[in-house]
Amino acid sequence: MNTTRRSFLKLMGVSAVGLSLGQLGFDLAEAQAYASKLKIEGAKEVGSVCPFCSVCCQIIAYVRNGKLVSTEGDPDFPVNEGALCAKGAALFSMYTNPHRLTKPLYRAPFSDKWVEKDWDWTLNQIARRVKDTRDKDMVLKNEKGQTVNRVDTLFMMGTSHASNEECAVIHQAIRSLGMVQMDHQARV
Amino acid sequence: MTNHWIDIKNSDAVLIIGSNAAEHHPVAFKWVMRAKENGAVLMHVDPKFSRTSARCDFHVPLRSGTDIPFLGGMINYILEKELFFKEYVFNYTNFAFVVGKDYEFNDGLFSGYDPKTRKYDQSKWAFEKGPDGGPVIDETLKNERCVFNLMKKHYSRYTLKTVSDVTGVSEENLLRVYDAFCATGKPDKAGTILYALGWTQHTVGVQNIRASSLIQLLLGNIGIAGGGINALRGEPNVQGSTDHGLLYSSLPGYHNLPVSTWQTLADYNKANTPVTTVKNSANWWSNRPKYVASLLKGWYGDAATPENDFCYEYLPKLEPGEDCSYMYVMDKMYHGKIKGGFIFGVNPMNSFSNTNKMRAALDKLDWLVCSELHNSETTDNWKRPGVDPKTKKTEVFLLPSAHRIEKAGTISNSGRWLQWFDKAVEPGGQARNFADIFVPLVNKIRDLYRKEGGILPDPLLKMHWTEKFDPEEWTRRINGFFWADTKVGDKEYKRGQLVPAFAQLKDDGSTSSLNWIYAGSFTEEAGNKSKKRDASQTPMQANIGLFPNWSWCWPVNRRILYNRASVDLNGKPFNPKRAVIEWDGSKWIGDVPDGPWPPMADKEKGKLPFIMTKDGQAQFYGTGRVDGPFPEHYEPAETPLDSHPFSKQLSSPVYKFHTSDMDQMAKAADPNYPYVLTTYSLTEHWCGGGETRNVPNLLETEPQLYIEMSHELAKEKGINNGDGVIVESARGRVEAIAMVTVRIRPFTILGKTVHLVGMPFAYGWTTPKCGDSTNRLTVGAYDPNTTIPESKACLVNLRKADKLTEIA
Amino acid sequence: MPKAFLVDTTRCTACRGCQLACKEWHDLPANATKQRGSHQNPPDLNPNNLKIVRFNERMTKEGVVVWNFFPDQCRHCITPVCVDVADMAVPGAMIKDKKTGAVLATEKSAKLSPADAKAVAEACPYNIPRIDPKTKRITKCDMCFDRVSAGMQPICVKTCPTGTMVFGEREEVLAVAQKRLAFAKERFPKAHLVDMEDVSVIYLLAEEKEHYYEYAGFM
Repeated sequence: MNTTRRSFLKLMGVSAVGLSLGQLGFDLAEAQAYASKLKIEGAKEVGSVCPFCSVCCQIIAYVRNGKLVSTEGDPDFPVNEGALCAKGAALFSMYTNPHRLTKPLYRAPFSDKWVEKDWDWTLNQIARRVKDTRDKDMVLKNEKGQTVNRVDTLFMMGTSHASNEECAVIHQAIRSLGMVQMDHQARV
Repeated sequence: MTNHWIDIKNSDAVLIIGSNAAEHHPVAFKWVMRAKENGAVLMHVDPKFSRTSARCDFHVPLRSGTDIPFLGGMINYILEKELFFKEYVFNYTNFAFVVGKDYEFNDGLFSGYDPKTRKYDQSKWAFEKGPDGGPVIDETLKNERCVFNLMKKHYSRYTLKTVSDVTGVSEENLLRVYDAFCATGKPDKAGTILYALGWTQHTVGVQNIRASSLIQLLLGNIGIAGGGINALRGEPNVQGSTDHGLLYSSLPGYHNLPVSTWQTLADYNKANTPVTTVKNSANWWSNRPKYVASLLKGWYGDAATPENDFCYEYLPKLEPGEDCSYMYVMDKMYHGKIKGGFIFGVNPMNSFSNTNKMRAALDKLDWLVCSELHNSETTDNWKRPGVDPKTKKTEVFLLPSAHRIEKAGTISNSGRWLQWFDKAVEPGGQARNFADIFVPLVNKIRDLYRKEGGILPDPLLKMHWTEKFDPEEWTRRINGFFWADTKVGDKEYKRGQLVPAFAQLKDDGSTSSLNWIYAGSFTEEAGNKSKKRDASQTPMQANIGLFPNWSWCWPVNRRILYNRASVDLNGKPFNPKRAVIEWDGSKWIGDVPDGPWPPMADKEKGKLPFIMTKDGQAQFYGTGRVDGPFPEHYEPAETPLDSHPFSKQLSSPVYKFHTSDMDQMAKAADPNYPYVLTTYSLTEHWCGGGETRNVPNLLETEPQLYIEMSHELAKEKGINNGDGVIVESARGRVEAIAMVTVRIRPFTILGKTVHLVGMPFAYGWTTPKCGDSTNRLTVGAYDPNTTIPESKACLVNLRKADKLTEIA
Repeated sequence: MPKAFLVDTTRCTACRGCQLACKEWHDLPANATKQRGSHQNPPDLNPNNLKIVRFNERMTKEGVVVWNFFPDQCRHCITPVCVDVADMAVPGAMIKDKKTGAVLATEKSAKLSPADAKAVAEACPYNIPRIDPKTKRITKCDMCFDRVSAGMQPICVKTCPTGTMVFGEREEVLAVAQKRLAFAKERFPKAHLVDMEDVSVIYLLAEEKEHYYEYAGFM
């Protein structure tokens, strides 16, 4: 194959044939057709942050009619200056991938399948289980008679994917429930 | 990070060790390359030659789990050759503190060890106390129990030969790194250490980092531009989630969760508030009671009063020494002691060590609530390969969660910058952000308590909560409010107005803040500073890449921590070419200094730079870690050696582990498991891969589980590149595709060949035919300070596979 | 003014930001791939990957490991042979935009007979064009012609974190290339710029092209 290429270039290259019509760029209509397809044109720019590592590259989300059109690095952010890695560059297809969960699902004990449920039913069920477990297992005093007000049979794991505001909500909720078993990826 | 991403460019020597920065923080490598452009030497010390090594001046292969000998050798080299930065060490560290007579170190054990409990009595390591209870300091260093002398003695054992024998690094390569890095012990030179999970995921994880602190303090590299100890934090908001204390033993803002022996707030404050006798120590943690009272005020609002200890009683209290970290929770779960709980945005059934045990443990739950973007090995554990769902009792609620781009709020990057993000689009389908799950859930539970009554309803019913989650309202709560009209200087604040900074927080109930380190991020005067997008700088700031007006950074917008250590006693920068702060005679210019006080030459008002330590000095010797005041080499819990030359103590005497039937371990130098396995992530996948395996374009680049091994080992085992391989440890069996490479080489350890193999942990069975959790192999042995498992080093055996079932 | 790229491989970390960004910008679907004992995936350019990073590792005689990365893409030749060959069969199938120097495979490339399309592909000294079996079109890097025409950088260049990729007016890029070459030579005596006079995408290699990829350079 290499020989073929070499001979072609010799044959067809600058010295042998000179410039063909194509080389002169005659077909501007074709080129313009290419250029007219800028997909982010007119889209609203919204500032966000890449959801992967703690470099926290800032990104621009291009949104049209409430739909995400494209994502790119934010060139003004002093840390990433518009750059992204493979993961950051793939954010658009991450948001649009076909495996995304879209509805609350429920798996009953010993069942072999998921069943779709609505939010209200789901949260009511969870609230019931949390309260029943808390009421049953709350330890008000330890063996020494010291007040401990804790539940040892409930746990929370997660998450560094949460925003600071979500973390604040989660921490307050967990401690007010009396839970001590809380952990997340800082320890992974 | 003590410093921040851009600051890496100010370095003269970049030592990447325990991190694969180019692969796991690819965009950060922009700044590493910028340092290179400025003439820096780049070094990568790591078991495997990676994409990071490819761009460094040189790569030094190191046997996994031998960072302490490597660093200990450097400490010895610095001390022997007197390469340390004397002015810095003499003025800013505890080098001359005298250690008490109970401290001893004999053949790998520090004093105070109890083999029955596998614990040290740390009080044996205490400093000598003067008549006032303060430290005894001997600046002449005549006392052989001075920290400096003890350190010298301790590391004199870390000779080039011994270090080389244990690490597998040639003496020539050791010297190459030591020479290049120790050249930064000069006032006008800066060296940075970049580390990540390659250090933390060991039974000596914390001591790896301690060892780097010793080096950086000796070389005067803390507080300066281009210096520091920089943890390249992994997860998207792991800096913020750590700051907000999503950890069993923490309250937001780096306070301990109460234990049962601290029954009152006064007990708590007494146990957690250090007192110093050193006059010019700022001892910043003496302010802790103000921060804790303000946190409680934030949680309990008007219900929290000085009279009721700000509802301190409501807080759950642990038993002293009780470990509720995830490996302990999973062990309790395995033993049927846990009924239900939440797993949000994390995939333990793939990314936790000893996954087979994790999976069996999860089966024991009555109910489980998950919130995820995709089905994962955790959400679908009940139907994992080889189990019959009809035998699994756990009820599972799976809640669709929102992407970052579908919500608004702040995150904190590794350099502690608080960055606001807007909501670009509505959550897909019925997905919700985590707070829009927790707020209504808690409100439903509150309603049930109101309706039905129940045990201890007050912590829930009396808290300062919300009906509906508004992210920016919580950004404000995190910053904090005045709860009473207050005058600060000549400015008056009304109840309900934002506090301007943590200096204004009080312990009398007049202020709240859900996290004191973030106080000042959202103020009446400047609004929400996380939204700031102003690139303006003074020339001094521009010189070192400081962007003080872009976003905001904790604490008080200080971009480089401990920056008072970058100047001499008169406030003049050690390196004027890369000045961080400077005293202009009446005030500091440059970065926000570590406190407003004048330089130390002012004997009355000047303060020592290490303001978070009790006595203001950086600590070469510290009594706070449970495994010793100095880092010492111990082999990983599973080691290919049966002895090592540093001591008779083969592995850490205090590392934690479990003893269930599923916690098997190989014995030392086990012939059944002769190879060292190290595990890692890779650029194209995110940790356990739960998100990225579901992105087809990313899966295309790294589609299946592989095992990297040397040509020598492959030849020995009759394995060709691309062959299927079975890998086994004492805990599990995993299939992978062989990647036979020159990038992994056999090590010569104490004259014997030791092979190391490496595997990513990004693959799991919910993505068809890509392989399943590598962590089925890794060990349940943990750092005694943090309980982080030793996922970076365990023992395995391997063979060519006749047939693969997990990969196709 | 014609444009040019510099691809300074001495800075590349193979993060594959460019490879992914290219795919995303062009809305290209994923291929089903397998692990074959290499990080290079997909193994070659194809209609769904107009840019891939090639990996090449070896141990030198001195026992030093070298791992070279080569982000491969169309060179947008100054005198593109592909255009000449295509012109003989279907004029306008391959064009060169005068303003930017971008070499583009147009919709008309679908009209090339299989033999002609093959001839176009094989004429390329850099082994770039691929034929889409579905649309029959020739596929290759289009210099993000839409972006460049709108005054933006190609997405691969914008995405590159390490400064490996530079894009701009040819004269400016040549100046940067010479500067980078001088810097690289301090460490890599064999560093050179590949086929600089003939291409718009100029690679800076640290050593012989054989240590990157067979078609890394022509001359």
